[in-house]
Amino acid sequence: MTAPAAFAPITELAVQLRNGDISAAQLLEHYADRIEHLADISRAFISLDLERARAKAALIDADFEAENLLNGIPYACKDLFDVQGIATTGGSRVLADNIAQQDAEVVRRLDRAGAIFIGKNNLHEFAYGATGENEIYGTPPNPYDPTRLAGGSSSGSAAAVSYGLCAAALGTDTGGSVRAPAALCGLVGFKPTFGRISTEGVIPYSWTLDHVGTLTRSAADAAILFEALVPGCQKSSTTGLDGLTIGIPQAFFFERCDSEILDSVERLMSFLRNAGAKLESVAMPSMEYTRTVSLTVQMPEALSYHNRYLEQRGELYSQDFRAGLALGQCLLAEQYIRAKRFVETYRRDLNAVFDQVDTILTPATPAIAPPIGAVEVMVDGSAEPAGNAITRYTSFFNMTGHPAITFPCGMHSAGLPIAAQLVGRHHSDESLIETARLIEQVYDFELPLPDLR
Amino acid sequence: MKQVQKQTLIGMRDQLGGYTWEDAEISELVDPKLGIITGFQDLLDQLEVLRKIDLQAVPPAADIPTP
Repeated sequence: MTAPAAFAPITELAVQLRNGDISAAQLLEHYADRIEHLADISRAFISLDLERARAKAALIDADFEAENLLNGIPYACKDLFDVQGIATTGGSRVLADNIAQQDAEVVRRLDRAGAIFIGKNNLHEFAYGATGENEIYGTPPNPYDPTRLAGGSSSGSAAAVSYGLCAAALGTDTGGSVRAPAALCGLVGFKPTFGRISTEGVIPYSWTLDHVGTLTRSAADAAILFEALVPGCQKSSTTGLDGLTIGIPQAFFFERCDSEILDSVERLMSFLRNAGAKLESVAMPSMEYTRTVSLTVQMPEALSYHNRYLEQRGELYSQDFRAGLALGQCLLAEQYIRAKRFVETYRRDLNAVFDQVDTILTPATPAIAPPIGAVEVMVDGSAEPAGNAITRYTSFFNMTGHPAITFPCGMHSAGLPIAAQLVGRHHSDESLIETARLIEQVYDFELPLPDLR
Repeated sequence: MKQVQKQTLIGMRDQLGGYTWEDAEISELVDPKLGIITGFQDLLDQLEVLRKIDLQAVPPAADIPTP
């Protein structure tokens, strides 16, 4: 296999495996070589499980089931997911010795589907933060520019797929932690309707906002993973772009945004219009206090989970996460409940928008990948904390629980990917992924591979 | 609403129960330096605006019903 094969989508790898052009063992070794070669650069993995992966690949090759598209496909997951016998560290010193007793439900499901688990990905400690910086395991850089962030909190998952170290990865998304790093690294990031993919066996950050999601090279690959991860997955009702009604938010999502990102999304909008989609301006719920509402839910929930470790191991947490947890202690119960009531109003208001349209289109992020170490980024002439900017267009949909998918739609003159985001009705996950798949099939844009020389 | 004081938060820590945060961490809430939290006072000011909005009988968000 040549190096670009490391960047092949699951749909192509499945054909090669089925045709016998490559064996599961050969595919695994190809990735294993790259992981070793790029380990110091990508900082994508916290731990590897290649011995078990090799044993499974041998079993698959001995009795290959061609009808299963995930058979023999190597994948990784963020180090919040339990895999039996391996430490689930959360990217923290606190749980360095936390050996999982059993697999997370999603790991069991992918295992049954024939996918091969190869390792645990780096992350922002316990998923607290969108920059993906990690003082213990290092900060995964962006493969398109190693001086910039891969983004987070699923930083290692994004780096693993975008550096060509595995075919796909699992992450968690509490405010955009799957979709944003995928967008910054030129991948497809999908978060489902809240609760649609199991979070059992996954270390929580904020129970009522956490979603398990996927990072893949294509929407077609996201569909394959979704089918394996969700029992009773339905066939999509989307048959084409012609006649699709797409909502374009009147405010917030196209404001304080990099002009080249706006240009790319507007080109995509023109394409969709020409393909027969009907684009309609929609009034979204008020976004003014959404970050406040989200933080007021997140921090008490995070504290409530981490309380079990604070007394014995509190000094092992990083300074910034401890400060966040301290904030969780100081909020009043009524403030938390009130925030949850605002979440309910956001859900109702957004459901009303979906009475008018099939899907909503926004840019995925207002800025390209920020430089590593940058506390603030300049967006459209004004400074903003880097983590806030990365998730400004994504976090609202964690509160409302609507499914959302980000996918590449352009390249910035700085040499970094630009992405768009589609959002769908509750439980329309299959149709949403299919819409993104139809766009990637016919939209005249091909993302260049990162130059890793 | 008055500005939150470090001593108020220390009082909460010492008198209401909960984890014993260090003084430096409480200082971070009233004088943020780390960049991730933009300041507890800002958050409280915004929560005070939200408190004055009448949500009528809207309950807290719960699970999303399966169709």
